[in-house]
Amino acid sequence: MDNINVLIIEDTAEQSDALIKVLRQNNYAVAGVAANFTDALKLFYENTIDIIIIDVFLDGKPDGITFAESINIIPNASKPFVFLTSSQDRQIFERAKLTKPFSFLMKPFNELEILYALEMAVEKFYAQTNVFLSEEQDTVISSDFLFIKKKKSLKKVAIQEILYIEVEERYCNIITEKEKFVILISLTKINDLLDKNKFVRTHRNTIVNIDKIEEIIPADNLILLKGNHKINLSDTYKDFIKKMNILS
Amino acid sequence: MNNKWILLFAFLILIIPGFLFSQSTDALEKSILKKKAVEYKKEINFIKSQSFYQKKEWDSTLIYSMKQLSSTNKKELIDFSHYFRGTSFIQKKLHKEAKKELLLISDKFEFYLNARILLATSFLELREFKAALLHYENVLKLPEISKQPHHLSKAYEGLGITYFFLEKYDSAENYLVKSLEIKEKQKNETELLNAYNAMANLYYVQYKDSQAIPYFEKAYALSKKVKNISKKAMAAENMAAVEENRNNYKKALAYKKESDQWKDSLNNQNKVWAVADFEKKFAVAQKQKEIKVLQVENELKNSQRNGFFFAAIGLLLLLTGGVYLYSQKVKNSKIILLQKNKLDELNATKDQLFSIVSHDLRSSVHALKASNAKLSETLETKNYDELNQLIVQNSGIANSAYSLLDNLLHWAMLQTKQLYFHKESVHLHSIVQQIEYNYKPLLLDKALDFENLVSKNVFIFVDLDSVKIVLRNLLDNAIKFSKQNGKITFYTQEINTDLCQLIIEDTGIGMNEITIEELLQENELLAKKRNSENIGTGLGLQLCKQMIKKNGGTIAIESAPDKGTKMNLSFPKTKNNG
Repeated sequence: MDNINVLIIEDTAEQSDALIKVLRQNNYAVAGVAANFTDALKLFYENTIDIIIIDVFLDGKPDGITFAESINIIPNASKPFVFLTSSQDRQIFERAKLTKPFSFLMKPFNELEILYALEMAVEKFYAQTNVFLSEEQDTVISSDFLFIKKKKSLKKVAIQEILYIEVEERYCNIITEKEKFVILISLTKINDLLDKNKFVRTHRNTIVNIDKIEEIIPADNLILLKGNHKINLSDTYKDFIKKMNILS
Repeated sequence: MNNKWILLFAFLILIIPGFLFSQSTDALEKSILKKKAVEYKKEINFIKSQSFYQKKEWDSTLIYSMKQLSSTNKKELIDFSHYFRGTSFIQKKLHKEAKKELLLISDKFEFYLNARILLATSFLELREFKAALLHYENVLKLPEISKQPHHLSKAYEGLGITYFFLEKYDSAENYLVKSLEIKEKQKNETELLNAYNAMANLYYVQYKDSQAIPYFEKAYALSKKVKNISKKAMAAENMAAVEENRNNYKKALAYKKESDQWKDSLNNQNKVWAVADFEKKFAVAQKQKEIKVLQVENELKNSQRNGFFFAAIGLLLLLTGGVYLYSQKVKNSKIILLQKNKLDELNATKDQLFSIVSHDLRSSVHALKASNAKLSETLETKNYDELNQLIVQNSGIANSAYSLLDNLLHWAMLQTKQLYFHKESVHLHSIVQQIEYNYKPLLLDKALDFENLVSKNVFIFVDLDSVKIVLRNLLDNAIKFSKQNGKITFYTQEINTDLCQLIIEDTGIGMNEITIEELLQENELLAKKRNSENIGTGLGLQLCKQMIKKNGGTIAIESAPDKGTKMNLSFPKTKNNG
């Protein structure tokens, strides 16, 4: 489980320092702080970024919005972002609103508000709203990562690292090569959100990452995954084998 | 001999007017016409024709009798019309037409006798002597003639003259004598003169000069009394002829001269008449001119009147317009006055608000200043325990000043409609948590127990920032009005699928009904400082009300003094699929 990388675009050192402090306290990783538009673009492309916190006004110009607009144009480059503003100027909001998905945080803000805004930005960006704060689910699933709420902060797990998922009622046990943890999400939901070409059900309550399969032993109804994980293969879900390209 | 024929000729010319002059003086006829005019007063044409007939305006009589004929079928009126026409034609010497008209008169007509005599006269004038003779004799056979000697004499005279023309002098003499006898009794001078002349001529033509001369002399004598100048002239001329025949030239000359004199005066009279006629024409022309002038004047008056009329209309319109505009103005000024009063009221409230706000701010900043001074003092003495306490106090003051300013800013933005408003799905529990976070030191300070019992599954669809303002204010109030060791609880209640109820409950000092009412009143700022420490401007709650309303929610207050307060808010829920 990895920390979330946050890029801060903020021209006031005091503000960015406060932000960094809060983020670090809550186990977020700060990927960098940019004080202007060019630095921001540079940092954005050089680092792996999960969320961006953007101050609307940089040096008195609404460059923050310009930045959001420019990363929105590039396909697949965009990331969830939060606008920071102390202005309640209508025009600014009208313009910011066009950079969908849009979430903003009014200055001054406290720790909880920052965390809430970050969670909202992720939910909105991946179009899975009302997840982190409900009692039924705590994970947002993108094409590459699982964003999991752990206590007050978010964590991410690269989907390609997942070996298999075990469902237990409302919970899912996620087993990666390195670790094992529980998330709160229903089986149907996770099944819908995961890529069907990569994840298959092998059992009533098991979903397996096809890429991680080392060996399938149909006689014993067993699947062998990386790291010597043994998974039961039920008869009902055997059909997926036919679809696989088996090396002869 | 020649002279005798000349005399006869003159006599013949004069015979007819003699007839008619006598006729118009008939009083009986006049009285009957008067009666008829009353009887037929609705027949305008009859009235007119008879009046013109009596005035001897023959042309007009002809016109109106013609009109009357074409418009009526009453026997009597038709007879009258024919009678009038016959008489008029005779006067105009159109004897043929007169004859036709007179023949149309029925024998029931009142003036049948008159008409018959006139008819016979027409025949005589047309030299139809036999017909004239027949008609005169018929007239004599009419029964009523015996009562009217005037007519009888006329009939005898007519017969006499007819026989005279037929050269039956015996019969002529017989009738003329009879006529003369009647006329001598009646003593009508003109008639008598005619009769004498007729007699004289009758004898003169028969060369019975001895018998003729006395009549000529009588006629001459009578002519002196008569006003008719032509008759005077004729009588004198007759005498001149007689004297000439008697070879008494001196007398003849004298008579001739007299006759000439009368003729001259007749001519003069004619001239006078001509002049009079000319004058009349002139007068008519003058009148015509006057009429024209009057017409022009009339036109002028008309145009003037029209002018006045239009001017009056214009003025009326102007007046109505003026009245309308004035009433509009009055209306407008009333509205303006009302608005002005309201504005003044609002302005007064605003002024009061600002004075309170500035007072609050000043006292806050002043407290901060004092506290800071104390802080530096304490720092010197290195009393760290007190230092910490002072810092907490300072931050409290700063916080309240900040929230006041914040409220003011938002209120101003709301008033000027500049506030950005964007509804989205909001997790109420988290928001309450976030709000509480900022008030932790204050809660701690008053040792208040805070509980966030808001359901974690509740999502409301609101504008995040405005809801934050609402909750911040309400929490601030709850803390402010709570006693030490009190309790503040936020919890939700499900009302229905559309609304979520959020209740903020405290165990503070509460408030009475009147205060609640005042707080919930529209656009009322509770600008009263009853308790300088505890009661603020009411701006916060005012802002809350407006923000809640804007979010589609409601607010209700449940409270009683010393029993704590329950703020009941409701917000629209996020639709499940949203």
